[in-house]
Amino acid sequence: MQQRHREPYVDVGPYFDLDHGLINRTIFSDAGLYRQELRRVFAPSWLFLAHESQFKKPGDFFTTYMGEDPVIVTMGRDRKLRAFLNACRHRGMRVCRADAGATKAFTCSYHGWSYDTSGKLINVPNGGDYPAHFEQERWGLIEVAQLDTYKGLVFATWNPEAPPLVEALGGLVWYLDAMLERDPEGTEVVGGVHKWVLEGNWKLAAEQFASDWYHVNISHASALMVMSPTGKGPKTEIVQTPGRQYTDPLGHGHGFPTHPKSRFDDRVVHDWYDYEALRDRLGDARVEGPMTTGHGTVFPNFSYLPVNGSIRVWHPKGPDRMEVWAWTLVDKSMPEEVKDAQRIYNLRTFGPTGIFEQDDGENWSECQATAHGFVAGSMTLNYQMGLGLQEEDGVHPGTTGRLYSDGAARGFYARWRDLMNTPAWHEKDTR
Amino acid sequence: MTTHPPDTAPSVVDDDIRLHFEVQRMYAVEAQLLDQHRYADWLELFADDLHYWAPVRTNRLRRQQALADGSPGEVAIFDETKASLAWRIRRFDSGMAWAEDPPSRTRHLITNVLVWAGEQPGEYVAESAFLCYRNRLEREVDVYAGGRTDVLRRTEDGGLLIARRTILLDQNVLLAKNISTFL
Repeated sequence: MQQRHREPYVDVGPYFDLDHGLINRTIFSDAGLYRQELRRVFAPSWLFLAHESQFKKPGDFFTTYMGEDPVIVTMGRDRKLRAFLNACRHRGMRVCRADAGATKAFTCSYHGWSYDTSGKLINVPNGGDYPAHFEQERWGLIEVAQLDTYKGLVFATWNPEAPPLVEALGGLVWYLDAMLERDPEGTEVVGGVHKWVLEGNWKLAAEQFASDWYHVNISHASALMVMSPTGKGPKTEIVQTPGRQYTDPLGHGHGFPTHPKSRFDDRVVHDWYDYEALRDRLGDARVEGPMTTGHGTVFPNFSYLPVNGSIRVWHPKGPDRMEVWAWTLVDKSMPEEVKDAQRIYNLRTFGPTGIFEQDDGENWSECQATAHGFVAGSMTLNYQMGLGLQEEDGVHPGTTGRLYSDGAARGFYARWRDLMNTPAWHEKDTR
Repeated sequence: MTTHPPDTAPSVVDDDIRLHFEVQRMYAVEAQLLDQHRYADWLELFADDLHYWAPVRTNRLRRQQALADGSPGEVAIFDETKASLAWRIRRFDSGMAWAEDPPSRTRHLITNVLVWAGEQPGEYVAESAFLCYRNRLEREVDVYAGGRTDVLRRTEDGGLLIARRTILLDQNVLLAKNISTFL
């Protein structure tokens, strides 16, 4: 009785001609492909769950999703973080319906099955009415196959065969560390999570954060205008800023301007950093590159904005809808007033009322809205920007291209295509 | 925010009626300014030391309800000063704020108004309920509903200014792609 429902798999290869920068739009709206990506992209991948600083003492918990699967992340009495499917083994109801908190046990409010913070089933009401062969120890909460942290970020996967987390992050860590290693003490998150819905396929957002600096000058023209010192808009050299965009073979991407000064950070935060010390610590290439500003995506659905202090997950909610969960990241050593400046800057720029985020939301929902027509929904999209310009530049590790490029988007979709066409570990179960 | 309405209804005297009418009319004017996208005029209703705050609402176990509304210093939907609201409004006036071009249609409904004396002389606390309906482009609809608690301050010329506003939006996951108006 372990048989999973099997659905036919579709070869997604024909939707792509990435050597020529072509992608068929069907991948953003097809319900069958969406179900396939839950099985072959989300289930086998490392997915972001939470930040370590959300768990201070045993019993602290946070509930989130992996793909569309609800999960509980909790610190056990041994202070170890674990993650479980948030579903009672009896009838499948969520055993925890709070966003966060502290508890000794998760008790299903349907029939009262109760689980401790290590996932063990500790109480079954009317247990005497179960047959003799009922083995209570076999009915604990379903635990993720692997859970690990990278410099405060908690990730997990259902895939027992997934490589270790740090291997799965690949060459992106050099870029990611420009955010996570600014402070020798590490990072923490501000209390609370911004959550909002977007009527768009999750890949629209993940792709943009991997690759798309191109939209900034147009989509965010109004935000750039009010943020510029003159109030009239950024100088031409900022609009035309050079930069690089990293493309990882595992689907990750990170883009950033390269400039000794160009940055869109908060003044208080800017003044707090000792840039000479950062140069010693992280090297000139990172201070003048990924620390200037920019964006990144850890494949598949975790993205970050280093200078805005935003880390976020694009939770898939069907082919046409995602839910954005965004945390505010600060450096541990920052004085309280600097942390608060970062928090406020983040919510005013990239919260759901943020002057950048408002326009992003409009773009993604509009892209999705036109994806349902037969002609519009199956047309070929152009991902050719920067084709043939990717190289090893000797400064930034791995393959990089120009800032204005679809390079990391092509890398993101190459990885997505390959996973969609590769049987996942769970398909090898032949029972 | 710390003061609560008296258990009994305020005695119905002329001053109370006058105050209640004044506040209710101010809120109707405010709603009209927002719905007409006259944000610079709207901002004139606020005091210079304004704190305009909309915390995030979380689902908590019943015994941990004290944590259900975000605290100061946590992630918030709005955490604004008069200057930062002006900054947001300048963006709308840039002619390039695409999320509001074409503009949304909104209707702010303000009701359940209760007013009582505040902690400082010349200040009042006013609670109200709001429902903001947003209709956008062809068929997009968002509804923002919740409660507001304002501290109102009597000015030297006899008017009222909003010095504090706390907005409790009755949603956990914000069921909209953004909030491109004010509440």
